[in-house]
Amino acid sequence: MRQNQQVQLELGRTPLVEGGHDFHAVTEIVSSVVERRKWPMAWWVAFLASFGTLGILGLMIGWLFWQGVGVWGVNNPVGWGYAIINFVFWVGIGHAGTLISAILFLLRQKWRTSINRFAEAMTIFAVICALVFPGIHVGRPWLAWWLFPLPYPQAMWPNFRSPLLWDVFAVGTYFTVSLLFWYVGLIPDLATIRDRATTKFRRLIYGFFALGWRGSHRHWHRYEVAYLILAGLATPLVLSVHSVVSFDFATSQLPGWHTTIFPPYFVAGAVFSGFGMVLTLMVPCRALFGMQDLVTMRHLENMCRILLVTGMMVGYAYSIEFFIAWYGGNEYEKFAFINRAFGPYAWAYWTMVSCNVLSPQIFWFRWARRNLWVMFIISIFVNIGMWFERFVIVVTSLSRDFLPSAWAYYKPTMIDTLTFVGSFGLFFTAFLLFIRFLPMVAIAEVKAVMPEAHASHGHDPDDGGNAPVGGPALQPAGGGRQ
Amino acid sequence: MAGHVDAHNDNWSIGGIADGVSRIGIVLGVLGLAAAGFLGFAQEGNTEHFYSAWLVNFCFFLSITLGGLFFVLAQHLTGATWSVVVRRLAEVVASNAWLMLLLFVPIVLGMKTLFPWANPEVVSGDHILEGKASFLNQNFFLIRSGIYFLVWILASQYFLRRSTGQDETGDIGTTLSMEKTAAPITLLFAVTVTFASFDYLMSLEPHWFSTIFGVYYFAGSFLCFVAFLSATVLFLQGRGRMKAAVTPEHYYDLGKWMFAFTVFWAYIGFSQYFLIWYANIPEETGWYYVRQNNGWTTLSWIMLIGHFIIPFLGLLPRPIKKNPVTLGFWAVYIMIMHWLDVFWIAIPNAYPNGIPFHPLYIACFLGMGGLYVAFVALGLKNRSLVPARDPRLPESLAFENA
Repeated sequence: MRQNQQVQLELGRTPLVEGGHDFHAVTEIVSSVVERRKWPMAWWVAFLASFGTLGILGLMIGWLFWQGVGVWGVNNPVGWGYAIINFVFWVGIGHAGTLISAILFLLRQKWRTSINRFAEAMTIFAVICALVFPGIHVGRPWLAWWLFPLPYPQAMWPNFRSPLLWDVFAVGTYFTVSLLFWYVGLIPDLATIRDRATTKFRRLIYGFFALGWRGSHRHWHRYEVAYLILAGLATPLVLSVHSVVSFDFATSQLPGWHTTIFPPYFVAGAVFSGFGMVLTLMVPCRALFGMQDLVTMRHLENMCRILLVTGMMVGYAYSIEFFIAWYGGNEYEKFAFINRAFGPYAWAYWTMVSCNVLSPQIFWFRWARRNLWVMFIISIFVNIGMWFERFVIVVTSLSRDFLPSAWAYYKPTMIDTLTFVGSFGLFFTAFLLFIRFLPMVAIAEVKAVMPEAHASHGHDPDDGGNAPVGGPALQPAGGGRQ
Repeated sequence: MAGHVDAHNDNWSIGGIADGVSRIGIVLGVLGLAAAGFLGFAQEGNTEHFYSAWLVNFCFFLSITLGGLFFVLAQHLTGATWSVVVRRLAEVVASNAWLMLLLFVPIVLGMKTLFPWANPEVVSGDHILEGKASFLNQNFFLIRSGIYFLVWILASQYFLRRSTGQDETGDIGTTLSMEKTAAPITLLFAVTVTFASFDYLMSLEPHWFSTIFGVYYFAGSFLCFVAFLSATVLFLQGRGRMKAAVTPEHYYDLGKWMFAFTVFWAYIGFSQYFLIWYANIPEETGWYYVRQNNGWTTLSWIMLIGHFIIPFLGLLPRPIKKNPVTLGFWAVYIMIMHWLDVFWIAIPNAYPNGIPFHPLYIACFLGMGGLYVAFVALGLKNRSLVPARDPRLPESLAFENA
């Protein structure tokens, strides 16, 4: 066995949980964060800053409702400004969570267990941020329900042939399934927190949400079946949501928007941006809450690799679009792309290319994939670059289309910018509350990938029966460097 | 399952099968190609059919080869464990790239017949084609093809040789170096496959363009390769080879890949069709218009129902993927569908008036297929069917799905 371990190490497969912890120690590490009485100063600072930023969002939306969309920079022809850019940006951020929880689960990537809870929570908050924008984008909240095809006496229906309506269904389904997936995964851990609760109030609240979980074989069996089914359902959603979002653009006839690669290209970009955000949040969080043994260098390195791969997929799409714009021989298409790269928005285009395609290239080097500062900074670049990608797509094509006399330069106002900044307040407030009150690492799943979960190891009596030993382990065999 | 693996008594040498298969394959290949040559050139007016049939079958077998190369690359990139037992077969299939280079020669000879843009009289006066002439011209086409084949042959030989070498040395460093090299080679793979699909298939209608086209060809290629791989494994097991090495757990994964790429292919095909249909711009819809008229409609429906819906439902149940008989059925079925897909891409623009049912398609298929299978068999001769000393092999042998 010793020789086998040596081989595993040489192949780059370091243990998924470091520091020689047993099951109980894992429970301690994760639960203690939630159970802490006194919270670190850093959390309070971050929370107050986020909450303040959320306040800015509230003010901006209030002002928008009071005044109307005139407070935004949208003009004619750029009728789609920050609202759709931010919507696509936030929906994209969510994709890493679903990819990690669903696709990596089906692909038996065991390393996902340390980061999936975290990323799934991020998904849910990102989708909430995204949903704000379609709701407010006409500046008339009393009409927001027109998003939905509700029957009512005037028989006014949304246009079923419009991809914007499909978005409602696509994102709605996505949100529902992601939420269920996240919640189902949380149940055993909620029960752990309940069992460890020292006050009646905590026991009641966590107990309520734990749905009477007792950790019996039957519970585990049903849990795993439900988890697998949800993973199967969520997998097509990873592809479909951003494909439908890309239809918003690609079904049109506008040069720069209408191109057949948009659906998979948007999906790759979404996964790219999502992983960027996971890294941005994970690097400080693991340091702040002492999770280094659970979220190891190996996890971070894998995420950097995914950034490199998806960054180049996005780069592939940029290049092929450019080539076909020339090859297709359509002069409007050709102009749209030259205008992107060398027109008035060239600064945005090259920001996008540098951040999305060039900056992740540093992850070819192992030292960069293992340096926390490098990955943190690159992950910020990725967030910036992917926001600019949506800006470039939305604004450059609209601001200069077929008729030069109708061209106009789009300039966001301060309200636009502060609304976008404010949406980060919403995101981070929700996120900070999540790490305050819920276990940010899937305790039960992490245990299943530890060596102790193998049949040859004994059961840890301290653990309230919540380690999936003896029952069908969550993900025993697995492949990969991961 | 782990307890039953008895690697020591398992037969990992192709032995006599190689001679038998290669003999039949070469005879079939020579006869098929001779028949194709006779049908194509002895009678007048069949030259066009010959080149069209050749192109379809060339692109079909090329897709299996490239799918095999990607399979090898993907396993190294991810450090996959389950697939080690079948990776040698993929390496040998990919190294048929040199055979594809030989089979490419008739396409060079028939360039003017196949590709409208290769004819100056077609290009001159056509504003669009004149604009593309700096890309779509005979010399550059040949240079590009030279680069593609150089990449494919070098890459596939590299992996085959390193991996076979590891059978002798058992050096872990070989695995690590293959993993390192796989990353840059994947980049070259993506570029070459994309442009090869533009050159050999998309430029058959030189006015038409689609940014997703390279991904579409890739999706079909990988799908067809996994089907080919499954069929090969089952064939060898039927002859008593690698019986303990590849278990229903591996079938299950092969089946899952077939299922996943059936869906992925449909997703890519739908993205292309749907966006072109919705925007309804004549310069793009023309390509589909041909495929929705004059008998091609039937084949278009077969693509939707036969290439997607039926295998989607058929491959969904778990027992079907774990059973060699049903898995084998779907592998063959998918290869047939993929052949029809290549046919559906390559032929309608040259024959817009209806599906050309011509014996040349069968002759070329048998000829090329005979040679292809023969060289796969010969490539496996004197090699272990399983990477015998790959450091991940023990885990792969004991692999179980969970």
